Amino acid sequence: MDFKSFRKKSPWILHYNTGSCNGCDIEILACLSPKYDVERFGILNRGNPKQSDILLVTGPVTKRAKERLLRLYFEMPEPKVVVAVGACACSGGVFRHMYNVENGVDKVIPVDVYVPGCAARPEAIIDGLIKALEILKSKGKDLELPSWCKADVKPPVNRAKLLNSCLEEFHGCRRD
Amino acid sequence: MGKRITVPFGSQHVALPEPVRFVFQTENEKIVDVEVDVGYVHRGIEKACATKFKYMQVGYVVARVCGLCSISHTLGYVTAVERLMGVEVPKRALYLRLLVSELDRIHSHLLAMGHTAEVAGYENLFMQTFRHRELVMEMLELLTGNRVQFDYACIGGVNRDLTSDVEKVLRGKLKVLEEKAQWLKDVYENDFSLNLRWKGIGAVTEEMAKEMNVVGPPARAVGLKTDVRAEFDYLPFKEVGYRMVVLKGGSIYERNLVRALEILNSIEMCWNILDGLPEGDIKVPVKGLPEGEMFVRIEAPRGELFYYIRGSKKLILDRVRIRVPTFANIPVMKELFIGMDYADVPATVISFDPCLSCTAR
Repeated sequence: MDFKSFRKKSPWILHYNTGSCNGCDIEILACLSPKYDVERFGILNRGNPKQSDILLVTGPVTKRAKERLLRLYFEMPEPKVVVAVGACACSGGVFRHMYNVENGVDKVIPVDVYVPGCAARPEAIIDGLIKALEILKSKGKDLELPSWCKADVKPPVNRAKLLNSCLEEFHGCRRD
Repeated sequence: MGKRITVPFGSQHVALPEPVRFVFQTENEKIVDVEVDVGYVHRGIEKACATKFKYMQVGYVVARVCGLCSISHTLGYVTAVERLMGVEVPKRALYLRLLVSELDRIHSHLLAMGHTAEVAGYENLFMQTFRHRELVMEMLELLTGNRVQFDYACIGGVNRDLTSDVEKVLRGKLKVLEEKAQWLKDVYENDFSLNLRWKGIGAVTEEMAKEMNVVGPPARAVGLKTDVRAEFDYLPFKEVGYRMVVLKGGSIYERNLVRALEILNSIEMCWNILDGLPEGDIKVPVKGLPEGEMFVRIEAPRGELFYYIRGSKKLILDRVRIRVPTFANIPVMKELFIGMDYADVPATVISFDPCLSCTAR
């Protein structure tokens, strides 16, 4: 059976804070509340990566959060979309080049949609989510790897092994 | 007794919006040991404030320590610099700062209350609380130009004046908000199922609170008379009708009730500010470089916020030290968990309203 056409109807989001100031996080919460109400697009906030389709990341990715972010990314099933919410998730923002941050989500995992703003307005977040839905529709079951990851993947993929090799590579080339 | 089971809670969890990690050791349902890890969102702001940014820029950087109480952080820093350099801030600017800081307190308290209702399984009340919270967000946007990161206070005054058109709209919205806040207070006080779920759960005793140095609404819910607004003179709180809210009990129920009552008090203060807003400048020019050291205490929505700065006649400060309220509240949380049922943990954590981006910076 082809599930592709149903996928867009009820995307679940996973939200992870990788060091943001909570400003974007409360705006995401405001999106879920009655005034902005993203539930009309079928979007629900569930904290479980294994059931989620859209990963909302806020914050400039601190050095301790990046491994968790990578884990969450690999635990999500394909197809998945990553939305970077806020100026610091897009580029590092005001925290750019501070000693403990990675200057943006796209340094760690591939990002599909960038939502600007400090803090990102709920309208902008909804706009980004709608763009993410379009991308989700067009994506297939292929595994997307971070650009720095050199592992060659042949189906069927063993995710635990892949994650381990990715983490090794991550720590191998950049000692913390 | 059963075997010990390790239950990790965080850093990413369904019931937890913040990246904090608790590792619980449980025996059956009872918690026997707990470890806390708060360092997931450390960014190095204090270091950057003392190396990268000039002293007039730091106010906008420390606002990004926390989005929920951004005005408190700016206010703390700005007040410290003003006292260090001997700047006389215009009265109108002080009142406008007070207005924004009280509106910020209202929206932060409503967020905390809504969250506690959500983790208690009362999603309907969460939605209602957030609906009424949007009124405050609209007011803040009208007043400052942004919903979350206001960047309102600056060294020597405020960045934006209150026009008469905006004041008219603010009065209308404040009236609606007052009704809604009264209704919310009634619900949080009298709802039958919330009473069953919250009364006596996660109760802090007075000795414990004194010993562990609890601050903010959790301390006032125990009966400790501690509020920086009354103790440290940084804004004219006494002139606008500030009252300290103190309750006895110290459980989740009282913590939320303290917040609800403080919201009503803050609304009253907002009315008084709008009625008696003095005329005059909103900003004075500031010249010179900071020299010497200064500390300032501010009442953020979560409790006492402490700022220490040191400068030596250079554009870049030598040291900026921030001590945040959540950091003071974590030891008592840890003490509280031992002997508690695991099912009560999410509501207890959220009722302290932890702000981890403040704590780790």
